[in-house]
Amino acid sequence: MSLLDIKGLTIHYITHQNTVRAVNDVDLSIDTGKTLGLVGETGAGKTTTALGILRLIQTPPGKIVSGEILFDGKDLLKESEHNIRMIRGNDISMIFQDPMTALNPIMRVGDQIAEVVYLHGDCTKEEAKERSLHMLETVGIRAERSTEFPHQFSGGMKQRVVIAMALACKPKLLIADEPTTALDVTIQAQVLKMINELKAVYNTSMLLITHDLGIVAETCDEVAIMYAGQIVEYGNLEHIFDNPKHPYTIGLFKSLPSLDKDVERLSPIKGLMPDPANLPTGCKFHTRCDHVCEDCKAIEPAYQEIEPGHFVRCLRVERGEI
Amino acid sequence: MGELVRVEHLKKYFNTPAGVLHAVDDISFSINKGETLGVVGESGCGKSTLGRTVLKLIDHTDGKIFFEGKDITNISKRENHELRKKMQLIFQDPYSSLNPRLCVYDLIADPLKTFHILKGEERQKRVFQLMDEVGLSKRFTYSYPHELDGGRRQRIGIARALALKPKFIVCDEPVSALDVSIQAQILNLLQDLQKQLGFTYIFVTHDLSVVRHISTDILVMYIGVMVEKSPAKELFERPLHPYTKGLLSAIPIPNIHHKKKEIVMAGELTSPINPKQECRFAARCPFATDLCRTQVPTVSEVFPNHFVSCHHVREINGI
Amino acid sequence: MRRKKETANIENMEMATRRRGQWRDILGRLFRNKLGTLGVIIVVVLLILIVFAGVFTKYDYSAQDFGSRFLLPSLEHPMGTDNFGRDLWSRLLYGGRISLLVAVVAVIIATGLGIVFGSIAGYFGGKTDLIITRLMDILMAIPALLLAIAISSALGSGPIKTAIAISISSIPHAARIMRSTVMSVKGNEFVEAAQATGSGNTRIIFKHILPNTIAPLIVNATLQLGGCIMSISGLSFIGLGVQPPTPEWGSILAAGRAYIRDFWPIIVFPSLFIVLTVFGFNLFGDALRDALDPRLKD
Repeated sequence: MSLLDIKGLTIHYITHQNTVRAVNDVDLSIDTGKTLGLVGETGAGKTTTALGILRLIQTPPGKIVSGEILFDGKDLLKESEHNIRMIRGNDISMIFQDPMTALNPIMRVGDQIAEVVYLHGDCTKEEAKERSLHMLETVGIRAERSTEFPHQFSGGMKQRVVIAMALACKPKLLIADEPTTALDVTIQAQVLKMINELKAVYNTSMLLITHDLGIVAETCDEVAIMYAGQIVEYGNLEHIFDNPKHPYTIGLFKSLPSLDKDVERLSPIKGLMPDPANLPTGCKFHTRCDHVCEDCKAIEPAYQEIEPGHFVRCLRVERGEI
Repeated sequence: MGELVRVEHLKKYFNTPAGVLHAVDDISFSINKGETLGVVGESGCGKSTLGRTVLKLIDHTDGKIFFEGKDITNISKRENHELRKKMQLIFQDPYSSLNPRLCVYDLIADPLKTFHILKGEERQKRVFQLMDEVGLSKRFTYSYPHELDGGRRQRIGIARALALKPKFIVCDEPVSALDVSIQAQILNLLQDLQKQLGFTYIFVTHDLSVVRHISTDILVMYIGVMVEKSPAKELFERPLHPYTKGLLSAIPIPNIHHKKKEIVMAGELTSPINPKQECRFAARCPFATDLCRTQVPTVSEVFPNHFVSCHHVREINGI
Repeated sequence: MRRKKETANIENMEMATRRRGQWRDILGRLFRNKLGTLGVIIVVVLLILIVFAGVFTKYDYSAQDFGSRFLLPSLEHPMGTDNFGRDLWSRLLYGGRISLLVAVVAVIIATGLGIVFGSIAGYFGGKTDLIITRLMDILMAIPALLLAIAISSALGSGPIKTAIAISISSIPHAARIMRSTVMSVKGNEFVEAAQATGSGNTRIIFKHILPNTIAPLIVNATLQLGGCIMSISGLSFIGLGVQPPTPEWGSILAAGRAYIRDFWPIIVFPSLFIVLTVFGFNLFGDALRDALDPRLKD
């Protein structure tokens, strides 16, 4: 059974002027110990999905309209606020993109980690302190640095502290929202390697939100491609990287400059992401799609399994036309 | 094609409370007309400072800069002002690099107004022509930057840089803030403009796949110094400096069949303030010897047009 | 050829309409803001009352009538009469001329000089900044009223001289706000972009920096207005500002202090005028700040 199972999740931001349909009918599942990559561009609804899982959507204007989020068999959307608070940080923790702002600047890093442990674990302050030192060592920071303040750490080191904090309570699920986007490539490689190793040690599942398909190829087991609040394609690495079906997924790959092939001109996806307050009818991607037909503009494509474990939301793929 | 820009032993030091920061330390290169020099490196390596120093937007500390064969190292303020027409800068952040109080038309017309180029209808025609060149529809003429997305904003920044018909443009991470599909659109635009108008670029970026795609030559920087410079493809096929190798292996490749040599470089960039007399990469280099820790390596041309700054480049690569 | 010209003309026309539209946008945004509209109404009504004071009053503001001292508001005297039997309504309307004129001029001088000093200090930094900031600190160290007394005893009395006297001590505030705003705006890349396209310092300051700094200045100016009205009264009280019998809000209020327990109108109505003025200008200023910012379209 999967650890996390999201069914039909729909999240809207409702203001008096308009309704932003940020997440529309999203289905996702993550098995224990596996990593799911959630890929999409700015505004695709990736972060909203993650915040929805933690029930951290600010209400109002945000509202989880429908769906269920089964975590360990329990529907998180039906849990009390108190239970959710216990689950956050304990069973599910999150790493944010910017390590610079994720740490309290006037608290020693060791104390910050210890606090999380103390709040969630049934332990004394001393035990929490010990655990914090152990976690720092685990992420490759010498224990004597635990008395230092965040500004004494570099960006990569701060992100390590954030990761130590997220893993301190041995969560079952780790949500990482662009954890390495603010870091340099060589540091990114170090951090990704470390996350992978720690994940294996603790048998943690991970939802990795990213826009970088390279990171996905190196760290994920399964991939969900998100566009305009919907999952447009879902499958394992082979499905997505070797046999992508949805025109958007294919377009993403074609937009990337290659490191080993010579391409005179890139073939970007034309146009822009639609305004989530004013999504087009039919297929959300039809305004930018090269294979658009009349039906695409009117009929909303279903989320279809085209081969075991490989889902695509495209009318023309479904009909076998492309 | 002839040479447009040549830089000799360029240095730029900043005085900080902690000591002298060596942002650019003894870098030399030249760029031919119509070609692109990619400058790559991690944040804080001085690549943006290099671009701005070459443009004479900030004063250099030592060295020489030649533009169109003329020494522009010590020119007067007036000459520097005139130089703006020939060399331009495209910024990374399409959000903070556009004045939020000006509409698209005024933003693009601003350089023309500064130099009193063209009047009335002529100027208007030129602005519309520029908008057309960078693919901005006329309906955005009076839009404000905050109403547009990142890609369109970057197009405004490009149009503004083109307004004075420059020959040489420094692009400082022009696509880093953009989504992949938009990034590809902007890269294509920059390449098309280069073909049509014969621009020469310095393309500063941390993204190696972008730099390979767009550059003729690539210069790899590490804490203010040039560690390697070679033709673009050669750098990826035959990296010689240990830092370049580590950097290349660190890029995540969007291909699941790609077998990569794992060289995860330990440590992080050391401080560029008051650097010691040593190879700056020595602290992170797996091949470092006592020589590396006591002597600054010199740049040598290992293969034609392939320069490396490493004491042990020949042993490491078996050449 | 002709055809080309025609299209150019059409484009010109389009441009003209759009440009005017931009001003309409600003006004539209100003009046869409309900509080802003209220502010505009208050300010306009006050100005009309004060400018055309003669139309709205039937008594001379200095006509004393000892038979009708301390009258409560009535149809005859809408706001009652004061200790000399003068009609308060007339005195307040005529007094507004001096108060508002002096206060507005003082705020304009203070804000103007504050902009000059603040932007020079913030833009050039270094030694220039150090010298200007220290000068401002010295000005700030002297108690405002004392400074105003010193200046106005040197200059003599009269509305404009009073305005100058009280504006001097307000300069440091405006200059400090301006300096910090300029420094933060200067850090934006668009300033560097302007340098890269060859703009000189003057052009950068006026075209790129100043328009982005007006917001906090407008708010500061509207807040200082009230302080200035009170400063005038302080000066008048010790005989340096506006000389009696010329009415002025602050001095009416000051003169009424003696009767505060026995006769409320002499305190309440001048205060009301001052509060309404400050309130009105404040709302107007806030709305203007928002309306001038193209980022806040909706």
